[in-house]
Formats: sequence, structure tokens, C-alpha cells
Amino acid sequence: MNQRRYNIYFHTHTISGIIIAVLLYVIFFAGTLSFFKDDISAWQKGKSVVATDYSQDYNYLIDSLGSKYNLRGRNFDFFLLKQGHGTYVNMSTSQDTTISKPKPKAEGQQGRGRRGRDDGDSAYFLHFFTDKTQSSYAEGYDMGEFLYRLHFLAQLNQVPMPIRLGAPFGYLLAGIVSFLFLFALITGLLLHWDKIKSNFFLFRPWSKWKTVWTDMHTVLGIIGFPFQLVFAITGVVLIVNLFIISPFSKLLYDGEDAKLYQDLQYNREMKVDYIYRPLDKTVDFNAFVADWQQQWNGSKISRLYIRNYMDESMEVIIESKPDSRLNFAGSGYARVQMKDGKVLETKSPNYDTNHIDRVKSLVYHLHFGDFGGRPLRIVFFLLGLTGCVVILSGIMIWLVARDKPNIPVYKRRFNFWAANVFLAICLAMLPVTAFTLIMVKMLNKVDQSVIYSVYFYSWLVLSVYLVVLRNLTRINKHTLLLSVVLCFLVPLANGLSTGQWLWNTFAVRAYDIFFIDLLFMMFGLGCAFAYYKVKKDGKAFKVSV
Amino acid sequence: MISFHLCLTYIWPKENVIATAFFTGYVLWAVLLLWAFLEPKFWRLCITYVVLALLFMLPYLLNQ
Repeated sequence: MNQRRYNIYFHTHTISGIIIAVLLYVIFFAGTLSFFKDDISAWQKGKSVVATDYSQDYNYLIDSLGSKYNLRGRNFDFFLLKQGHGTYVNMSTSQDTTISKPKPKAEGQQGRGRRGRDDGDSAYFLHFFTDKTQSSYAEGYDMGEFLYRLHFLAQLNQVPMPIRLGAPFGYLLAGIVSFLFLFALITGLLLHWDKIKSNFFLFRPWSKWKTVWTDMHTVLGIIGFPFQLVFAITGVVLIVNLFIISPFSKLLYDGEDAKLYQDLQYNREMKVDYIYRPLDKTVDFNAFVADWQQQWNGSKISRLYIRNYMDESMEVIIESKPDSRLNFAGSGYARVQMKDGKVLETKSPNYDTNHIDRVKSLVYHLHFGDFGGRPLRIVFFLLGLTGCVVILSGIMIWLVARDKPNIPVYKRRFNFWAANVFLAICLAMLPVTAFTLIMVKMLNKVDQSVIYSVYFYSWLVLSVYLVVLRNLTRINKHTLLLSVVLCFLVPLANGLSTGQWLWNTFAVRAYDIFFIDLLFMMFGLGCAFAYYKVKKDGKAFKVSV
Repeated sequence: MISFHLCLTYIWPKENVIATAFFTGYVLWAVLLLWAFLEPKFWRLCITYVVLALLFMLPYLLNQ
């Protein structure tokens, strides 16, 4: 490789890397914990899903709604949770204008997106099949959801923006970070190209610090490269795909986004005209779903739509995802007219796979790691942590490479200041996460705003404290020690507040709750070991400002 | 990137090309960004981009 190219790769890699470092770390750390989103939710609620027998009782759900509302002519959308133990329910107002009595819409009442919309007659809520309880989105909000949403910076959407960006600020930022990450990955690979083979397993942990960090960064970066590339690309696709969608929609669909989304199988046309003739038979939704599930070899139902409830025109649309052991890619779909049970359209999740199914399944499965059970998620989780290590060591290389006598002092001061702040924010995340998990077990009432306050304020306080230390070695030691204490307190807090000690949850096979306790004990052990090693063998590290 | 995939829609169904662009599109964009840094002559870079874009756009423009 000639020197000029090497320099270009070097500088583009450095700049794109250091700009996104902190945000990318947040994304990686929160994201890698989100592989266990369902487990964290179960842990926080103290209700194991894997150890509970439940049936998806749609009849009960609709009957109980029927005792509160007149259901005739309404539309229902059920968006099932991944494990199928609950569902988001979206109930519209009735198509029957004698029931819904449409009133003129007041100015400024347009809802902000799908969540929290409630004009008295329609409803949007979360229903759990496991214990047949219901909650609003904000009440059902838990740490699993929080970390999951933090990993695409959804919380930043609430930051007010002076100009219209065309996309929510947090998502846009996450998308930009993700794309720069992709760019940094490509430049990083090319930069290291000549040494890939010779340095593949080159670790020199007893050498000087700069060498240690360089090895950590390049070797772990190369080994984790395929994994990280997959997440960079699928991440961009999942969060800001409109950058690809909208130009194509302009050019090929004359700007009709709806048509394009339909072709890409995101949305389906489901408009059914209301005909004001009551349907004179009862509908058993449980049997209906069970019937399709059996026909599709037990594939999981992902969505269920009911149109014009109890009108003669009533239709039910069911969507499913195949069991990933039977078919990796695919989507099932059936549209049934309820009057005579006629199937209007159908597509099997197991056989009728098309190209779009394959692309989308690839994106989803690879990003969510949901095709190989818990072992695969643990492997992905560890690879995600490797990504965190690569980012941190990248910051350290950036700092020490610029800590030379020929660099002016004011520049070195700035570099140290930047690295100091970056490391403080990044390293504070683990203790803060553990702390919030403890707090949600200790506080009486936990909802969205409580989690926000606890997490973000403790993060702020700890980061400021660590920045004030102005000493990277001490930042490291303090966060390690704090992590040891807090991580061990996590299973303790769970046991004390609910009595679900590790041995109890293990005995009743509540592996989801058990796993989170175990995970944080592992974190605690890891940090304790690291702290011991740093204290005993750690070479002094100092920068010259 | 857009023009290249636009050109491909004349060979394969357009919705399939768009779906494939989920992967190839972003990688191509990143490579094009890197190319901008690698090319020493600014005017040559601009001309290359414009010519390539126009070339791939040809079938689309002719069909308008």
C-alpha cells in the first residue's frame, strides 16, 4: 500500500471514529444488553414468561373490551410481542356512524404518532396474555424497553429542534452514527489490510500501554469485523431507511410512498367497506388463530387485524413469522372473509418465500439475533461487548498518539479533555445501568418518567464526578469498584424485594429472571477481577499535560 | 448509488432491487464517500460522479 493511501485511510478512520465514539459506545452497550430485553422485562416485573403456561386468549380480550365499549363496526390491530406473551392492541372508533357519532376534529388535537392517542372512544394499550392484565404504554415501560430504545437514541427525539429535520432527531442521529460507523469500518479494514494475516492473533499485553491498546483495537476489530459490519448495515437499514426509500419512491412510484411500502410488504391494503348489515354468527378467534397456526406448522403469529367487527363485511387478516428452525426467511399472510369463511388471499410462511422476505428476514434476524435461542444471543452479546472494547481502546490510541512533545500544549490539553469526558461518559454506563436496575426494584412506582429520571440523572452525576477526577487511571478504578458493588447488589435487590433469589428462580425454571441475576453477577466478577489486576499489576499511565 | 440501482430496475423487478439496495446501497454510498477522499484531482472526481450518474440514468431518462 502506498503511503498516500495509507494516510488517507488513517485520517478518515481516525476522524470518523473519534466523532462517533461516545454515541457509538452508548449504542453498542445499550444494544448489546437489549439482546436480553425480554429477560430484563421479566426480571423487572418479577413475572417469568418462560416458566409460565399461557394461551393467547383473544376471545377473553375482546369480550372484556365488549363490556366497556360497543364493539360493532370497529377495527382492531393486534401487534404481538416477540415472545407472544402479550400484545399491543389498537382499537379504532366504529365505522358505523350511528355508533361512533363522528364529531368535527378540534384544531391542534392531531396525535403525535401512534402512541398515547386517545380521543375517548378509541384505545391503544398493552395486554398481557400471561395474567390477563392491561396497561398503557407508559405504565408498561420497563428497563428492557428503556435500554432497547436508548440503543437507537429514541430518548433524544424529545429534544426540541429549531428546524424540521424530516425525521425524529434521535433516530436521525443514530442513523448518521451508524453510517459513519460503516465508513469507519471500511477505512479501518483497508488501513489494517497489509497486516491482517500477520497480526491476526497478535496480543502483547505485557508491552507498553500504547501497544496494548493498539492490539486491542486492531485485532479485536478485525476478529469482530464481520459482526460489526452486519450491525452497521442492518442498523442503518432499520433506523433511517427513508434515505433509500424516498428517492426511489420519487423516481419509480411518482412519490406514492404507500404504494412502495406495500410492494415492500411493510403495509397491506386493508380497507373494507362497511355495509351496515350485522353478521349473524359468532366468531371464535382462538379457534381461528389455532387453525391457521396448525396449517402453518406452528409458526408464530405476529399480527392480527380485524376489520368491521360483526358487520357482514367483517374480515380478519393474520400475519405470521415462520419458526426459524423450519424456514429462516419468510412471512405468512392470510385474509379471510368471516361471513362464509372464504380465504381471499394467502401466503404460507414456510414455502412461498420471495426475495423481499429474504432481505427483510436477513436484516431482522441478524440484527436481533433471534434465530438461535439463548446461546446465540450470548455469543452476540459478547461480540457486542468486544465492540465496546474496540471503541474505548480507539479513544485511548487517539489520545496517546497525540501526546508527543511536538504537539502544542493547548492541543494536548484539548485532547486530554476530550478523552477524559468521553471515557467518563462511556465507563459510567455499566454502574448506572446496574444502579437503575436496583432502583426499579426498590421504588414503589416505576414508570417511564421514573426510569428516565433515575437513569439520566445518575448518569450525569457520575459522569461529572469522573470528569472532575481528571485522571484516566482513577476513572477506570472508580468505575470498576462501583460496578463490582452495584452489579452484585442487582441480584440482592431482586431477592430482597421479591424473594426471587437465584436458587428459587432456577428451581422453578424461571430462566429469564435467573439469567439477568447471573449476568450481573458475571459482570461483578469480571469487574472485580479487572480491579484486582489493575491494582496489582497495572503499569502507571500518565499523559504529559 | 440511486442511479446505479435505478438502472438495475430494468433487469429485475423494481421492488426486489430496492430491497437489495438496503444492503448494497449503503455500502456503495460509504465506498463513494471514501473515493472522494482518495481521488487527488477534484475536477476529475466531480466529472467521474456526474458521468457515472448520467450513464446509469440513461435507460430511465430515455423511458421518460
